[in-house]
Amino acid sequence: MPPADETATITAAVDRLIHEPARLAIMTNLFVVASANATYLLRQTDLTWGNLGSHLNKLEDAGYVTVAKGYNGKKPETTISLTEKGREALLSYRDRLLDALAPVAGD
Amino acid sequence: MTTGLTNLKELERDAFRKFYDDGIFDLYLGGILITMGIAALITDQIDNEMTGMLITLVLAFGVTVPVLLWRRHLLRSRLGDFQPGPERMRKIQGTRLALLGSVVLGVIVFGITAALLNSGSEDILGAVIPLIWFLNSVAVLGAMAYFLDVPRFYAHGVIVGMAMPLLIWPDVLWDHQLQPWIAFGVPGLVVMAIGTYKLVLFLREYPAGSAEESADATS
Repeated sequence: MPPADETATITAAVDRLIHEPARLAIMTNLFVVASANATYLLRQTDLTWGNLGSHLNKLEDAGYVTVAKGYNGKKPETTISLTEKGREALLSYRDRLLDALAPVAGD
Repeated sequence: MTTGLTNLKELERDAFRKFYDDGIFDLYLGGILITMGIAALITDQIDNEMTGMLITLVLAFGVTVPVLLWRRHLLRSRLGDFQPGPERMRKIQGTRLALLGSVVLGVIVFGITAALLNSGSEDILGAVIPLIWFLNSVAVLGAMAYFLDVPRFYAHGVIVGMAMPLLIWPDVLWDHQLQPWIAFGVPGLVVMAIGTYKLVLFLREYPAGSAEESADATS
């Protein structure tokens, strides 16, 4: 187990916005598609619409996702996609986490 | 949450595969086979190849359109919609190429068949055409299974591929011809049974439009 001060450094190095499980689920699900509508994300993440909307707002404010509201025929539809910044942030998050966990990976 | 999956590749594969878990493609495939059996029966009754082909096309169209509409409605309301990423798009293109190759092969085989029938070489046809049908079916549905990550399509390739050999080889080998509705209908029913099972599981897991309604209501 790393010393306490080292653990604190690792946690600080990880993007906390992405580190939250629900947002990580949203980001990873968006990472593997070009774009998706809200129904797709609800199904994939098992979040409620309220939770999804709230997390999407935070991710949108950070510039990680774009949320476009439009219509599919007569039905309203929300289309969400990961921005380039969001894509890079997720890859960076992965690298930092892998780096941080590297010493214990062989245990 | 699906982040419990081991990696992003598996996450993408799992998400995409869900869109084939409704069993509608299986029902369509089985429906087409049964349609071919029914069309063969009708063709025998009226004894006119051209009318028989027309009836087959009309029946196939009658099966295809409602299935496509139903699938679109069923999936969008329950699973939502997404635009695949670049890697998946390449795989979808691979599937389209396999289907196109199958159509081209079908046209070539049709031409060769017509030429051989005119030259009176029916024995060669009896041996070769079922084999080509089988290999074509295994290749196309195998390509779909591979590119779309839906393993049960490998089995469908073999089941669908058995239809033509069942129709022709017993006649060639033992002088005993199976009725077309049996040769096409039995594999068709097997594929439809698999599709029905998948559809029931799908409808249970994803109830009608609940996710979409809540999303629409607040978006």
